[in-house]
Amino acid sequence: MGANSLKRPAAWLMRLFAVLLALLAAPLALAADAPAAKPPGDQVADYWREVRQGVPGLSQVQGAESGVLINAEGQAWRDLRNGPIKKYGGTILLAMIGVIALFYLIKGQMKLSAPPTGRKMQRFTSFERFAHWGTAVTFVLMGITGLAILFGRTVLGPLLGSEGLGGLLALGKLVHNYLGPVFLFFTILLIGAFLRDNVWQKCDAAWIAKAGGLFSGGHVPSGRFNFGEKTWFWLGVTFLGLFVAGTGLILNFPALMDRTRELMQDLVLLHAIGAVILLTLSFGHIYMGTIGVEGALDSMKSGEVDETWAKEHHEIWYDDVKAGKSGHP
Amino acid sequence: MARMKFLCDAERCIECNACVTACKNEHEVEWGVNRRRVVTINDGEPNEKSLSVACMHCTDAPCAAVCPVDCFYTTEDGVVLHNKDACIGCGYCLFACPFGAPQFPQDGAFGERGKMDKCTFCNGGPEADNSAEERAKYGRNRIAEGKLPLCAEMCSTKALLAGDANEVSDIFRERVVARGSNRGAWGENLQFNPLGGGKG
Repeated sequence: MGANSLKRPAAWLMRLFAVLLALLAAPLALAADAPAAKPPGDQVADYWREVRQGVPGLSQVQGAESGVLINAEGQAWRDLRNGPIKKYGGTILLAMIGVIALFYLIKGQMKLSAPPTGRKMQRFTSFERFAHWGTAVTFVLMGITGLAILFGRTVLGPLLGSEGLGGLLALGKLVHNYLGPVFLFFTILLIGAFLRDNVWQKCDAAWIAKAGGLFSGGHVPSGRFNFGEKTWFWLGVTFLGLFVAGTGLILNFPALMDRTRELMQDLVLLHAIGAVILLTLSFGHIYMGTIGVEGALDSMKSGEVDETWAKEHHEIWYDDVKAGKSGHP
Repeated sequence: MARMKFLCDAERCIECNACVTACKNEHEVEWGVNRRRVVTINDGEPNEKSLSVACMHCTDAPCAAVCPVDCFYTTEDGVVLHNKDACIGCGYCLFACPFGAPQFPQDGAFGERGKMDKCTFCNGGPEADNSAEERAKYGRNRIAEGKLPLCAEMCSTKALLAGDANEVSDIFRERVVARGSNRGAWGENLQFNPLGGGKG
């Protein structure tokens, strides 16, 4: 009690002192901060400039950004989407197809050099195949519908007309929006299924040095997955897959959390850039997994490969399995 | 051929929001959608200004440029209209539009966008003029009746002007002469510059 009664007047005095100080300082601060009075013409220029930069005003109309008179980023968004993203995106997609076609014409299918033994060994479990094909099917559908949104007007527009294209894309948008989260789900499953086999191994350095024998045709021993497959796993499936699915998931809920146009603009651009790179890489994976390598498609279809195939493409894995180890690095 | 334009005189707009209300009533616009809005800047300060804004019917319309299904078209009068039968509700026109004109009713699950709705300069859509279908989708087609947009027609201070660009600028020019300055016009030099350029 004694201590309190001593402290109380002291605190009161301090407060009084602070208030007096503030009162004294206020006119000084005002004098320092007050801008020199501008002629009316200059003031007008100032506030129109602010409006042009997207500074919001007040509107009685309720809604996201209803007080913003000028959407300052709109023009840049239009220029980027209709310009570089369509131009370079389309170019790298077509270039990749061209490179693969050229590669196939020159090198042809990568055949087994020894006859198959007829003895099969398990390469993929049914869970792994479920995760793979779930991702694959949703990915292809997402890719087709996504490309239709970016390039449909240029490619299909002249054929179908505005309403025909609109009908098709209305369905495409539904598929794209509702399948997106399913794709994300499968991508996470896929990452979980194959993560442990995609860590760095010593043999990967040799694989990189010889570029996987892609051009020399030489044989490079590798674990369950070679460095090319690991690159696809980390860069394609994990980084780009999660990035594209993640940005898409936010775009899926335009009404949530008062999303601003600026956020949506940025996300649409990032989503498109990521998706185009992912699609370009996927062409390589799809080629290698189907017509590029003999027996590759069968391994993911049945889960089993011939021992010759295992020895030729993944020798270290083959040796491990034969030695009774798990085959995982 | 006319070249239809809106012009809002910020020296005259008193933020009564009658244009907003009249528009909503005339076209029976969907719930949650306003084709026009009034924005007040520096609200409550001595240099307060209000402006009524809707689709400005751009010559090189950004909405039309980014639409994935190419559903926009420009009429002979320079009015930018769109076809709701083709619209997929992606929202890209809203991202590109400088004025925030495209509006979307939330009609799907998860707040999904419905078909875009915006100011038609009271000029309907692609359907037959003043047909029941046009009325239901786009509202009344006053231009087809020989009338100008209702928002401007009933503006009590004649702040909001709508009509052929030449006539609108003639009216505004008279005001500029009387005032001795052109400060009421927002981006006036951009809007009426035949080259579309000039610094803001």
